[in-house]
Amino acid sequence: MSGASVVLAAARADFLERVRRYSFLFTLGLALYFGYMATVGRLTLRVGDSRGIYNSAWIGALLAVVGSTFISLAGFYFVKNTLQRDTETRVGEILAATPISRFAYILGKFASNFAVLASMIGVLALSSIVMQLVSGEDMHIHLWKLLSPFLLLSIPAMAVIAALALVFETIPFLRGGFGNVAYFFLWTAILIVPVVTNSSIYDLSGLFLLRQSIIASHAAPMAENSFSLSLDAGQFKAASTFRWEGIPWTGEILFSRLFLCVVALLLCVLAALLFDRFDPARGYRTLRAATIPLIPLPASTPEATPAVRTKLAPLDTLSLRFRFPAVLAAEVRLMVKGQRWWWYAIAAGLLLAQALIPKAEARGLVLAFAWIWPVLLWSSMGVREMRHQTYQVLFAVPHPMARQLPAVWLAGVLLAAVTGSGFAFRLLLEKNLPGLFAWAVGAFFIPTAALCLGVWSSSSKPFEVLYTLLWYIGPMHALPVFDFMGSAPATSATRYPLVYCALTAILFVMAVAGRKRQLLL
Amino acid sequence: MKLSIHSLSKKYSGNLWGLLDFNLELKPGVLGLLGPNGAGKSTLMRILATVTRPSSGSIHWNDLDILSSPDPLRTVLGYLPQDFGVYPHLTAYEFLEYLAAVKGLDGSAARRRIEELLAVVNLSDARHRPLGGFSGGMRQRVGIAQALLNDPQLLIVDEPTAGLDPEERVRFRNLLSELSGERMVILSTHIVSDVEAVATDIAILSHGRLLSHASPEALLASVSGKVWEVLVPSADLPALQQGHLVSSVAHRSDGVHARVVADSAPLPNASPLDPSLEDAYLAAIAAGRATPAGAAA
Repeated sequence: MSGASVVLAAARADFLERVRRYSFLFTLGLALYFGYMATVGRLTLRVGDSRGIYNSAWIGALLAVVGSTFISLAGFYFVKNTLQRDTETRVGEILAATPISRFAYILGKFASNFAVLASMIGVLALSSIVMQLVSGEDMHIHLWKLLSPFLLLSIPAMAVIAALALVFETIPFLRGGFGNVAYFFLWTAILIVPVVTNSSIYDLSGLFLLRQSIIASHAAPMAENSFSLSLDAGQFKAASTFRWEGIPWTGEILFSRLFLCVVALLLCVLAALLFDRFDPARGYRTLRAATIPLIPLPASTPEATPAVRTKLAPLDTLSLRFRFPAVLAAEVRLMVKGQRWWWYAIAAGLLLAQALIPKAEARGLVLAFAWIWPVLLWSSMGVREMRHQTYQVLFAVPHPMARQLPAVWLAGVLLAAVTGSGFAFRLLLEKNLPGLFAWAVGAFFIPTAALCLGVWSSSSKPFEVLYTLLWYIGPMHALPVFDFMGSAPATSATRYPLVYCALTAILFVMAVAGRKRQLLL
Repeated sequence: MKLSIHSLSKKYSGNLWGLLDFNLELKPGVLGLLGPNGAGKSTLMRILATVTRPSSGSIHWNDLDILSSPDPLRTVLGYLPQDFGVYPHLTAYEFLEYLAAVKGLDGSAARRRIEELLAVVNLSDARHRPLGGFSGGMRQRVGIAQALLNDPQLLIVDEPTAGLDPEERVRFRNLLSELSGERMVILSTHIVSDVEAVATDIAILSHGRLLSHASPEALLASVSGKVWEVLVPSADLPALQQGHLVSSVAHRSDGVHARVVADSAPLPNASPLDPSLEDAYLAAIAAGRATPAGAAA
């Protein structure tokens, strides 16, 4: 079999495995959702208070940058599991024993990642035709103007994301939850880079290129910073509209998009070099083994020891007495066990800083950092039992709903309370009860959201991604509506702590319902 | 102590039946569950362990319906699932301590019990090692220990000897024999010799149905006088396998010595043999295959 056939076979198998999962429908649904939001005027490209007339050029450009901006975030998390799946299903070990080269394997996985992301862009491209007809502002469909932005803006971006997801999967410390959180910040940085460098060569989303093109066309009066891609709660009513005929695909622009394809290829090479070929003696598995202190076995290993005893004394029936504190203590230990010393050192440093920093705003920011630091511990709530295959044993104990689930939840709350206690201490000293209430709501909201998402998704990824997003737009920007932890001094005076309190209760009920569903499966 | 299973069925998506109209009455002792892959053994065990709900039917533990109130059974249940997992960062001791707490064991009693169980499964020396560094066999022994934490009256073990070395297998069999006196043990396995060694009753499943439930003696009696040894040239073996149930073959210098299960002598040179449980099992499966089952695994 030729090299290309091997790559195609690997890509085909991986792609088929993915598209036959329900989650793929969700992916396509997400793309359709973006198309719908644009059609109803809630996802808009604004130039000041104006927008372009909904002709083929404008709609194509709008949906193409929507695709390369939002799908480069959501799509990354969707495709960043292809190597993990081969590890979990043990298919990887079988593949590792075949003659397939590391580069061919990675290239096959890249092709599959790319095909998934490109299919989302394809759905957006199809919806752009519908959108133009529904908007009715310009009924003449110009196919090249409509589809070229998808082909030349979105597709190269998807190639980079497809390759980047593989790089994350091949670097041990980026493979898990830390990588999920880190990518969010990388994504925000990627969007900012072309603005900072004032260069379209680094413009992954194509947004900067689009802006430059609109400026150059003189189609709309444009002030600095007046150009934005927004997702609004309500419909955007433009003060005026203008006609724009699309991006002129110059050689320079085409080169910049081709450059992205080269970047994608280089990332694939990097991933192939880093790929451990499912060898337990390399990469992630080595790192994990290193985190577990190995105690030397005695000269006579347990396997070699002859049978000592097989008799068991009967257990006194009085010995069966449920103690919730014991389960809670065990869950707390399970949650925090395995962290390195520096993890605790940083958590302790953040805790002290909350108590010692005099300025309330700065203290709030420290609380925000203190409550992002344990994100990977919270994200395992409700997931751990599935991930480690202990659910069958845990679900077969008496009263699993009343015993284990509340203990998991309270362990998460305790973690929040302890890591954020410096902030609470200062609020207590100041007798700031509304502030303390907002803080307490945060301490309950975070683990409850983690438990709910974990139980329903059986994956830690949704919490890691959504929580980081919420944390970034809320507490980090002191925006009361998203400040679920009451870190900004102004938040406690608003009704939002009450809103998050109610939301916490709803999430808790949902978590219980989710676990009940798991028990009844 | 009684476990009654009536008309139990489990339907999976895609119109696949894991179990179909399954009936069984159990009393104290060791029940060996035998059956080919996909026969429904693990489905049955998960349902009995209250982890999976059946599509229809009923299960009564001492006349108590466990489908509507599973907790009384869970209190006296020990369960080792086939795909048993552990938390890699906990030590064996901590992991058992955690499960003991969840199962409701009193603190000091739990500690005593854990020490005792670690000795029984031969892991005392490794008690403070993280489970992430354990071999498959050692993890399996932790699984056996956790199943025995609450001194269960009903012990359900699914492929418990998978991954164990021969010495540990023998040790586990002895433990099961010792435990079985006043309790009920349900043991699912592919290894007929494990069942042969400890089972007081054997249930054979195929395609989600119960083909046979009998004592080992009764099963052996069912193939008594039906097991033969025949000597055939290597070239004739495929034809023999085509027409008869061949339970084993051995290539020797004079040809192939085949063990055949048949009502009458398959060839003129056939000599009768004492039946084994494996012969009885294969005969039951073959008979089940000949009868239209109407169910898929």
